[in-house]
Amino acid sequence: MTAALPLATPSLDPPVAPRDHAAGPAGARVTLVEYADFECPSCGAAHGVIQAAQRALGDNLRLVFRHFPLRDSHPHALDAARAAEAAGEQGQFWPMHDRLFERQHALEADDLARYARKLDLDLVRWNRVMALSATEDRVLADLASGRRSGVRGTPTLFINGARYDGLVERGPLIDALARVALATREPGPGRQS
Amino acid sequence: MTAKSSSSPTARGVVREIGRYTVVRLVVYYLLAGGLLLLLSAMFPEHRPSGPGPGAPMPSTMGGMLDWFRGEVALFPNGAPRWIDALFQMVGAVVLVIPLAFSYVRTRTRVKYDHSLVQTVIELPVVVTAILVVVRDSLALAFSLAGIVAAVRFRNNLKESGDAVYIFGAIGIGFASGIHALSVAAVLSIVFVVVELSLWKFNFSADFERTFARLCLPSGADMAWVPEPVETPPEKSATSAPDGKTTRLRVYVDRADAARPLIEAVLARDAKRWSFEAEEPPANGNATVLAYQVRPRKSVGLDGLRSNLLREGAPHVVAADDAPGL
Repeated sequence: MTAALPLATPSLDPPVAPRDHAAGPAGARVTLVEYADFECPSCGAAHGVIQAAQRALGDNLRLVFRHFPLRDSHPHALDAARAAEAAGEQGQFWPMHDRLFERQHALEADDLARYARKLDLDLVRWNRVMALSATEDRVLADLASGRRSGVRGTPTLFINGARYDGLVERGPLIDALARVALATREPGPGRQS
Repeated sequence: MTAKSSSSPTARGVVREIGRYTVVRLVVYYLLAGGLLLLLSAMFPEHRPSGPGPGAPMPSTMGGMLDWFRGEVALFPNGAPRWIDALFQMVGAVVLVIPLAFSYVRTRTRVKYDHSLVQTVIELPVVVTAILVVVRDSLALAFSLAGIVAAVRFRNNLKESGDAVYIFGAIGIGFASGIHALSVAAVLSIVFVVVELSLWKFNFSADFERTFARLCLPSGADMAWVPEPVETPPEKSATSAPDGKTTRLRVYVDRADAARPLIEAVLARDAKRWSFEAEEPPANGNATVLAYQVRPRKSVGLDGLRSNLLREGAPHVVAADDAPGL
C-alpha cells in the first residue's frame, strides 16, 4: 500500500514517546509527527492544512509536534519554541502552539508575554520556565532528533514513522493519511510510530 | 517537504518576460527622443548661441562643429522668447516621461492597472515644469507657491504602493526639465525604466525566504534549509455550493458496499439534504472515496456530522473531508 504513497522508509528517530507533545488518542490508527518552526511561513500555511486533517480524521489521527527552529533565518523561532514549551509546562502547549502559528508576524518577547497572559498562564512561572536551560535543551533535542530523522527543511511530516514526501496541501495530505489509516486495520492502544 | 513544494508550479510562480518588442521599442524611442530634443535645444536655445553665427565657415573640431550647428539652426539668434523656451521644456518633459508610462503598463496586471495614474504620470511633469519656469529664482514666488499648495488638499488612494514611485519619477523629470536640465531628466527616465523593468522581471524580493538566504546567509549556504512556500488551497469557495450551505463531503472508506448504508443512515438523520455524487474506486491503494453533496442540519453542523460519520461508520470510515479531491 505504501508503495503508492509519497512515503519514505521509516526513519523517525526517536519514535513517538510520552515526552512528546501529542494531540489525539494514543491508540489512533495514524500518528502524524510534524517538525516545524513557529516563524516559518510554510509551517504557518501547513498549520491550517494539519488542522483540516485533524477535523477530517477525528480520533483516527494523533498529531505530534516537534520543534525544528531554523535559527539562521528565523531569529524569533527559538524563543517562540521556548514560549510554547513553558506554556506546555502549565498544560497549555497546544493553545500556545495555535496562537504562535496564527500570529507569526509578532513573535517578539513582548508579544510572547502577551500571548501567555491571554492564555491565563501564571506569568511568573512561565517566565521562569522560559529562562531554564532545560527548556532550551528540550527544543534543541527535538532539533537534533529531526536531523537524525532526515529533516532538511520545515515543515517536515512523518506518517507512522515514515517521512511524507508529498505536497503539504489539504487534499494530498488527507488522502495519504486516510490511506495509511485504512492500511492500519487494527488500531492498538498506545501504538507507537 | 521543501523539496516537493519546490516542484509545484504554483509555488514557483510564472516566468516574467519583458519581451523583445518592448525592449526594441524603448531603445528606438529613446534614440529618436534624444535626437529630437538635441535638435529642439539647438533650434530654441535659451540664451544667445555661443557659435560663430549663420553663414560662418564650418570649423574642424567637434566642439566647434556643434557650436557651428547650433548657430546655423538657431531660430532665435538672441535666445528664444520665454514662452517658447517654456514650451520646449514641457515638450521635453512629456517626451521623457512617456517611457515611464510604458513601463507602468508593461509591469501591471489588469487588476492592478490604473489608467488615471498613466494619465497623471504623463501630465504631472508638464505642470511641475511650468511651476519651475514661473518660479525661476524668485524666493518670493516660491513662498507664494508653497502657500497655495498648502491650501489645496486632496487625497487619493493608490492601487499599489509602488505606484507612488511613478508619481515621484514624473515629478523628478518635471523638476529637471523646469531648470533646463533635460539631460538629467533623460538619465532619470532611462535609469527608472531599466530598474523598474528589471525588478519586475526578476520579481525581486517577492519570496522572503530566498531573498533572506541570498542576502543574509553566508554564500554557499545550504539552500535546502530555506523552506519553500506552501500554497493552501481556498477552502470554503472550493467546497461549498453556490448557496453556501451545501458542502461536498469526501468520505474515505475501505469497502463501499459495507460503508454506504452506515454513512447514509447518519446523513438521513443529521443532514437536511444530501445526495450521493460519485464513488472514486481505489486508485493505487486501498481507499475508496465516496463523494456526497450534504447540507447538515443547523443543530448538528458540519463538524458534528463529520464526528458522527467517523464514529458510527467505524471501522469502514476513516476520514471525511469537505475539501475537493485530488
